Amino acid sequence: MRIGILANSFPAAVRIYDEVRKVAASEVYVLLFPSNHESQARDLMRHLARLILKTGRWKSLRMILAGRVVYFGKVLDDPQSLARLKELNLDLGLHKSGTIYRRGTIECFRLGILNAHIGLLPKYRGRSVMEWSLVQGDPIGISVFFIDEGIDTGQQIVLSEAVDISHCKSLREAKQYLFDLDATFYRRAVEKLNAGIVTYQSNEESGRRYYVMSKLLQHVAQENLAVSDRQSAIGNRQ
Amino acid sequence: MKRELISEAVTLRLVDVRKRVETLDPHHYGELSKFVSGVKNGLVEYSPPAVPEAWLETNGDCLGSLRALSLGKSVSAHEGPQPPVESFLQELRKAALECRPFFDLLGERYRYPLNLSVPAEEAIREFILMRLMVSFRGRIEKGSMAAVDADDLLLLLNLVAVHATMTTDLRFLDALNYYYELLPAAWHPNTNHAWLLACYLGLYTRALGLWR
Repeated sequence: MRIGILANSFPAAVRIYDEVRKVAASEVYVLLFPSNHESQARDLMRHLARLILKTGRWKSLRMILAGRVVYFGKVLDDPQSLARLKELNLDLGLHKSGTIYRRGTIECFRLGILNAHIGLLPKYRGRSVMEWSLVQGDPIGISVFFIDEGIDTGQQIVLSEAVDISHCKSLREAKQYLFDLDATFYRRAVEKLNAGIVTYQSNEESGRRYYVMSKLLQHVAQENLAVSDRQSAIGNRQ
Repeated sequence: MKRELISEAVTLRLVDVRKRVETLDPHHYGELSKFVSGVKNGLVEYSPPAVPEAWLETNGDCLGSLRALSLGKSVSAHEGPQPPVESFLQELRKAALECRPFFDLLGERYRYPLNLSVPAEEAIREFILMRLMVSFRGRIEKGSMAAVDADDLLLLLNLVAVHATMTTDLRFLDALNYYYELLPAAWHPNTNHAWLLACYLGLYTRALGLWR
């Protein structure tokens, strides 16, 4: 399977690259795009600096020489970028950029683009869903689904699993813990797709779209996280 | 849901909102200074209104109804035909695309503001919440209060507040929480309907009361 990681940042993409390469018969590429029209030259310099400083010179060099890093001079929806994407003949995209994708971009990938969302779909769409799950006393988790043009509305969910965050001391730590699991969840989703054993869950419209949370309710979410930490500690002692 | 934790947080916020309401100077609100004084003096316990099961009509207008609801008064209404949702939603979307204000559109439809809570209005409620929490919030946070039409913003906040007094869907109350934290405490919009700020704060205290 030919897989492209759509990213604005090299180090973030490399974590996923390393994990997804473990899947048999996979050919993985890092596709680097500028985040907006104004930042093209700045982004190229930033990518080069990160390639060398953060990822390790030899590893970066090996990836570049192997043709695994593709730099797009234009933003994702630019016709030139789309033409180049089509030439790459990719089966699957993995989302790691700050972009909302248009149909033309999604259609450049035979199967589509996957997104690892830090909430349990279909119930929790949108922003601050980890915090909203905590406030409402629901399990926290990660869902990997095929993106469409809406906000977490893609109809095919490949994976949706609860994740224990009770060991995390703060909302920030819990969120980072979930974000750092994206590579693992992407690998597992690719394995399922590769093996042809996917039973898609439907992302039907039973869920709600959530928005960025106020400080007032974030405080409640933090308290709920602390309660779950205490309950987990009691459970471990018993 | 850990209701007691929410209740504790809401009780603290309620004290804070009442203090902010106390700082409102009725003299800044022209002919509606009496109403603003009413909000300041009228933050008493009251029974939240019931969600209307069907569309209701009133003889008054949206702004008058909002003032009454903010003061904890009821608005008389009688059953009427539900106007179509989809075509109205299209109008709202078109206005959003063309950066036109929503004020007249929403004011005309929600002459009886409690109608926003009618089950069939769900798509419009979601649209209003989305505009507040994505578009308006984004413009304010990237720019300043001047980046949005203050009357539009305040009307949306008032309508969301009316719904928040009747629903257990916390997203609506939290939109009010978010804007309470976002709007500068001393902000006084220099617009035709600046009194909507006092109205929103009055309705916000009532919505918070639901969770205390």
